[in-house]
Amino acid sequence: MGLDLEYLYRTFLLALGGLPVTLGICVATLSLSLPLGFLLALVGMYRVRVLGALASLYVSFARGTPIVLQILVVYSLLPSLANAIAVNAGWNIDVFALNPAWYAIIVFTFNTTAVLAEIMRSALLTVDKGQLEAALASGLSVWQAYRRIIVPQALLVALPNLCNATINLIKGTSLAFLMAVRDVTAIAKIEAARAYDYVESYLAIFVIYLIVCGITQMLFSTVERRLGIYRAPAVSF
Amino acid sequence: MDRPFKPAYIVEALPRLLAYLPLTLGVALATVVAGSILGLALAKAKLGRSRVMRGLADAYTWTLRCTPSIVLLFLVYYGLPAFAKAVFSVDISLWHRAFFVVLTFTLFFGATMSELMRSAYLSVDRGQREAALSHGLSEFQAFRRIVLPQAAVSALPNVATSVVALLKEGSLAYTIGLVDLMGQGTLIIARRYGAWALETYLAAALIYWALTVTLEKIAKRLERHLSRGRRSLA
Repeated sequence: MGLDLEYLYRTFLLALGGLPVTLGICVATLSLSLPLGFLLALVGMYRVRVLGALASLYVSFARGTPIVLQILVVYSLLPSLANAIAVNAGWNIDVFALNPAWYAIIVFTFNTTAVLAEIMRSALLTVDKGQLEAALASGLSVWQAYRRIIVPQALLVALPNLCNATINLIKGTSLAFLMAVRDVTAIAKIEAARAYDYVESYLAIFVIYLIVCGITQMLFSTVERRLGIYRAPAVSF
Repeated sequence: MDRPFKPAYIVEALPRLLAYLPLTLGVALATVVAGSILGLALAKAKLGRSRVMRGLADAYTWTLRCTPSIVLLFLVYYGLPAFAKAVFSVDISLWHRAFFVVLTFTLFFGATMSELMRSAYLSVDRGQREAALSHGLSEFQAFRRIVLPQAAVSALPNVATSVVALLKEGSLAYTIGLVDLMGQGTLIIARRYGAWALETYLAAALIYWALTVTLEKIAKRLERHLSRGRRSLA
């Protein structure tokens, strides 16, 4: 068959134009999901009554259903719901003219928050209770104890899983085309259909995702090495 | 709201979707079997002596970890027939779509499994194998009777997670036109010209949710069953 390398290169450059959208969705999602996931992890850990049950139901649903279904549900529900609210409230905004990237951020935040909550919960549980007690006994406030003692230790444990979650998020955003977002995959898909050149188009974005995910992994392992110096030397019996 | 929400349509969609559950599960099962074989081969390469094989297996795993499912699915679905036609002059473009789905997800699942198998194998103390060998068991017997049962227990929770992930990712098969649970859902919606889409998607989501929760429950049970007689430090 012979690959049309020139076309592949052109699509590669074209799809790179969608990279800011892809990365923007990822960054926005992470900055929303990290604090939300942490709160959720605390709710789960301290077994807050009704909230705790709701939280575990949410985590179970968000982690137990395919993300493509979450996208389709939200995308068929949210625009008309938002429109109804806007009309009822008498706001003069056209909901349907909203950038679909907002819907993408909502869906991926819904999904990623649940994943991060689980990761953070299990990471927090690895920190010995004595650490908190010792911090409090030394006169630190609960907030200080968490910020300076607990979270740094939990973070180190959570890093590999956080890396996984981030990579999965980046890969997951490739489904944003279902919401008419013009990200990397959407551009390649449009090009593929226009030129009947499916193989080259998808090869082009295959390379883009390899590069992006590769750099992400490298960043995470650098951070892990840096933070690793705080790790106490293993005690041998 | 410009249209009412009718839960009745969720109930109506459930049996029509469930009719396609066997296909969804069948595709997943075939993928698990084929993926485990691929994973075993990769894990063997990763634990082996040959540096080239180790490097290749690691590179493969790394690449697949960085590839979105939908991209590989499209590459396999569009690329493989073109490749087969050019190299072997066989036309496979009309083969059943389940074939392309199983192949795609086997490539992913094999990569995941190889990592799980590798770490599970390494989690078993070396002395176990050596003790078995010195008792006169053959290398294969030592693996099958001593190392494997212990490695399987330590790998089980992660294997369950991977199977659940596979099941969820498998829902993307509808994008190349496979009529499984998800594909049937989109067909129902298309036949109604887009009406009651939300209800139909919710019905599909409920089925997937029940499925993954059940799988996790089974895995928990199995883990407890397999780790009986095992003493932990605490």
